[in-house]
Amino acid sequence: MSRVLLVGTPNSGKTALFNRLTGLNHRVANYPGITVDLSMGRLSTLPEHELVDFPGTYSLRPISEEERIAVDHFAKALDAPDVAHVLCVVDATRLEKSLFFCLQVVRECRQRGKAVTVLANMGDILARHNLAIDARGLAAGIGAPVLVVSARTGEGLPEVLQRLASGITSEASADPIPEPALLAQDDESADQALYAEAHQLAERFGAPADQLLLIQSRLDRFFLGSLSGGLSFSLIMLVLFQSIFTWSAPAMDAVEAAIAGLGSWMLPFLSEGIVRDFTADAIFSGIGAFLVFVPQIFVLTFVIGLLEDSGYLARAALICHKPLRFFGLSGKSFIPMLSGVACAIPAIYAARSIESPRARFLTYLAIPLMPCSARLPVYTLLIAIFIPRETALGGLVGWQGLTLFCVYGLGIVCGLVVAGVVNRVSAGEAQMPFMMELPAYRLPALIPIARKSVQRAQHFVTKAGLVILSVTVIVWVLGYFPNQGADLGASWLGTIGKWIEPVFQPLGLDWRYGVAIVSAFLAREVFVGTLGTIMGIEGAEDNILPLVEQVQASALPLGSGLALLVFFAIALQCISTVAILAREANSWRLAVRMVVAYLCLAWLAAWLTFQIAAAV
Amino acid sequence: MVAESQTMNLWELPTRTEAVLVGFAPALAERYRGRLLEFGFHTGERIVCQHQPGFGAPRVYRVSNATYSLDRELALQVLVSVARE
Ligand SMILES: Nc1nc2c(ncn2[C@@H]2O[C@H](COP(=O)(O)OP(=O)(O)O)[C@@H](O)[C@H]2O)c(=O)[nH]1
Repeated sequence: MSRVLLVGTPNSGKTALFNRLTGLNHRVANYPGITVDLSMGRLSTLPEHELVDFPGTYSLRPISEEERIAVDHFAKALDAPDVAHVLCVVDATRLEKSLFFCLQVVRECRQRGKAVTVLANMGDILARHNLAIDARGLAAGIGAPVLVVSARTGEGLPEVLQRLASGITSEASADPIPEPALLAQDDESADQALYAEAHQLAERFGAPADQLLLIQSRLDRFFLGSLSGGLSFSLIMLVLFQSIFTWSAPAMDAVEAAIAGLGSWMLPFLSEGIVRDFTADAIFSGIGAFLVFVPQIFVLTFVIGLLEDSGYLARAALICHKPLRFFGLSGKSFIPMLSGVACAIPAIYAARSIESPRARFLTYLAIPLMPCSARLPVYTLLIAIFIPRETALGGLVGWQGLTLFCVYGLGIVCGLVVAGVVNRVSAGEAQMPFMMELPAYRLPALIPIARKSVQRAQHFVTKAGLVILSVTVIVWVLGYFPNQGADLGASWLGTIGKWIEPVFQPLGLDWRYGVAIVSAFLAREVFVGTLGTIMGIEGAEDNILPLVEQVQASALPLGSGLALLVFFAIALQCISTVAILAREANSWRLAVRMVVAYLCLAWLAAWLTFQIAAAV
Repeated sequence: MVAESQTMNLWELPTRTEAVLVGFAPALAERYRGRLLEFGFHTGERIVCQHQPGFGAPRVYRVSNATYSLDRELALQVLVSVARE
């Protein structure tokens, strides 16, 4: 088997070409230590060739750590004996920006005796506007064959495959270039000569793209205009937000209902006792609790994919950049953070689009503090218990609504502040200035986006499933033994609750709240059901009223209620989030540190709240 | 009539006014200068500021066949010259 490397500048359509050439046969691997995706897949019509997709970069001279890793791996791969051919993708509608990199790659390949073919992609766009590039002239100028192709229509791809199949390696080795490899040298004058060459080649053989840019500029005038831009941004973000909150809700309900249905069908076959209890409470609830995220992940990935492919995502990043930069975040952090207001898991996936590792890290820090929807049942319960249903300002504001608003705001503010503080105190690569190519506006290609969304949902199920299930089983065992689930208070979980009671005592809370908080690690909303069970009320998650009355009757001070609200706003208590965070950041250490840090911060803030409430 | 020219930094360039790139400020870090060159920001290249979104957001510049967005920090370091009748 031989390998074919696929390289190109960002937005040249490399991913689209990769998908087209490999079909569904690909897998994604990560570089060790850092999440740079490296997709590999067998060519669908030439299965003896494996295509390796390198991250897009503008140059073989990296300016960030991430690029450096990508370039280093490319250099290593070029030396590997099983690499027979390099495909370098350029955007035929914007030759200028791709050619510098292309010339670098061609030189490297020729220097090392590897065959290289330049793919001038987006041929369909040129054809649609009656434009053309001079591929022959360009080939002569570059010193490598140039094929005009289209990842959209498939035009030109049979020729590419033909070249790969015929195993052309001779032309390169027959014509070795004696000059030293670019990767090794750092010579400004050589670079200058190459810039000039790229520029000349683009001028001579490229297509005039004024017409294409005119359309883009008109759309930009709308989407970046002060009024129209602001309105369209709000509207698009509203749709995005709705998509996770509302549109995926029916699918989430369906998943829950299906699992519950399967459970009630299966359980009668099991005899009463531990096996049945385990199946019902650990397996079915456990699987149910994490499978409900799948529709959200799918829908959010799909909607973000639409935004990205249409070219709007880059504009949204531009609009949000300035305010977020103050906190060390990037414009691209906005969408992950907004998604985090619905659910942290798809939000963490969405952070993949942030190229700067530092901004991505800071975004990871902020996401779990966004007020996700799993916190809502807890907030609803606590607010119903502690905040009177009265209004102020002549009925204009209700205290309950105001409290909910404040606790939501607290999460968002905390997220930004934590990112800002960590950015200021931690050492590391300085913040990069904002320099981004604005891709053309395009109609999104639906099938690849749907495929990517399915892959992401699969990734979640396979990568996080085991961790989530294990924790579910542990919490179940703790709550079930030693008395076969008869009394949660007397179980090991209850014992742990009593054991950690001193931790929550300063907040005015007894062991029962401790148990409910520990069980909320499965998912925050579990707090409500567990507290109900401990207080002898079944089904509290469906009807909170009896629980509200009971807690009110227990005369728990207002300060404790507020402390609990603050605690839930800050603590990272969702095992699914932790598992996905560890996977995506490629660091369990980071995930565990975040859990510990946010628990401490949550406790401190809750304690402070309790003290202030007691003093007032 | 002799056309005069005025040199300014890119951030000062008004929208839809064509300018010619004359160089980079010495303070611009080498790696960012390199990246701008790769984008196509060469001396002598024509450059147009296409959009200036409000609130200090990065601005949109057209160079050759591509558009790029640069923030203030970077645009201040790019020097252009505008023809003046
Ligand atoms: N019309 C057209 N659009 C394309 C073609 N190739 C890619 N695209 C679109 O160009 C955009 C960037 O493509 P992508 O593969 O993500 O670029 P990458 O950054 O190089 O991986 C996406 O919106 C693609 O749908 C093509 O040949 N024709």
